[in-house]
Amino acid sequence: MVAALAIAGPATACAHPRTSLAFLEGQIMCPTCHTTLDQSDAPAARRIEAEIAKRVDQCWSAKQIKAELVANFGAGILAAPPHKGFDLLAWWLPLGGIIAAAVLIGLGAWRWSRGRDPEPELESVDAETERRLDDLLARMD
Amino acid sequence: MRSLKLAGQLVALAAVAGMLGLLIWRLTHQAHAPKIGKAAPAFTLKRIDGAGKLSLASLRGRPVVVNFWASWCVPCKGEAKMLEQAWQQYRAKGVVFLGIDYHDVTSDARTFISHHGVTYTTVQDGSGMVGDRYGLTGVPETFFIDRRGRLVGVHIVGTITNQVAAFHRGIEAALNQ
Repeated sequence: MVAALAIAGPATACAHPRTSLAFLEGQIMCPTCHTTLDQSDAPAARRIEAEIAKRVDQCWSAKQIKAELVANFGAGILAAPPHKGFDLLAWWLPLGGIIAAAVLIGLGAWRWSRGRDPEPELESVDAETERRLDDLLARMD
Repeated sequence: MRSLKLAGQLVALAAVAGMLGLLIWRLTHQAHAPKIGKAAPAFTLKRIDGAGKLSLASLRGRPVVVNFWASWCVPCKGEAKMLEQAWQQYRAKGVVFLGIDYHDVTSDARTFISHHGVTYTTVQDGSGMVGDRYGLTGVPETFFIDRRGRLVGVHIVGTITNQVAAFHRGIEAALNQ
């Protein structure tokens, strides 16, 4: 990373907020080791980091840098699938699965709670038994 | 309530069937190294040394030496000079040398080509899809393809500088078959 930053050279002023290598390296995959750049020390990962650092220094936005990397390496270079087209399924399917599972569990729990036998009510104690119990307790005190 | 239970069971069954389908698809689409004597996996890739694309099919009828490399690969630097010399040696016999830049930054690849004086055709496999079809385990790796588009000789894993005899035998096999 130090080498990457050194290659990038001095920073210039940008017309928009500057992105950073630290921001992007968790979102970009190392193509040879299949981890994100921040977890890789592979030569290919270091070269991509250097390229990102160079583009950051040239005031490219994160979107532009990602677009260039996708054009160079294909969509597989992105750690997360894009939020459009068929790739949307990757975002919505897990969410749909979680919601469906929650609904099923909820319905199951509701059904289970309704199907249980009611707890037997305690028989009421008649007045005579209650008086004798009070006497017994009073003697124990 | 009975229909709800049935719907739940159907959803669970569909999910299991889907996962099973994915597993089967993955197993049947795994990359395997192509066998010597069989057809070389076809590809069409963007050229780095010029405009446009190049397909392997367009080279049918000529022996082809395919070398996978990358600018970040240290052994690739070591064999670049020898590859260029071999290309100069064999080009008059009709042999085509084709460099495939694997998982590389385009500007780095161009710098590599310029720095090492590579003059044969170079294409880019940025996504690594073609490398996968060839069962690549790393770079450099070199394959030899005869005039009929079949893989011949040996598949050289690692730098050719350590396997010079096998390299020349591979070229001769591509020329003579």
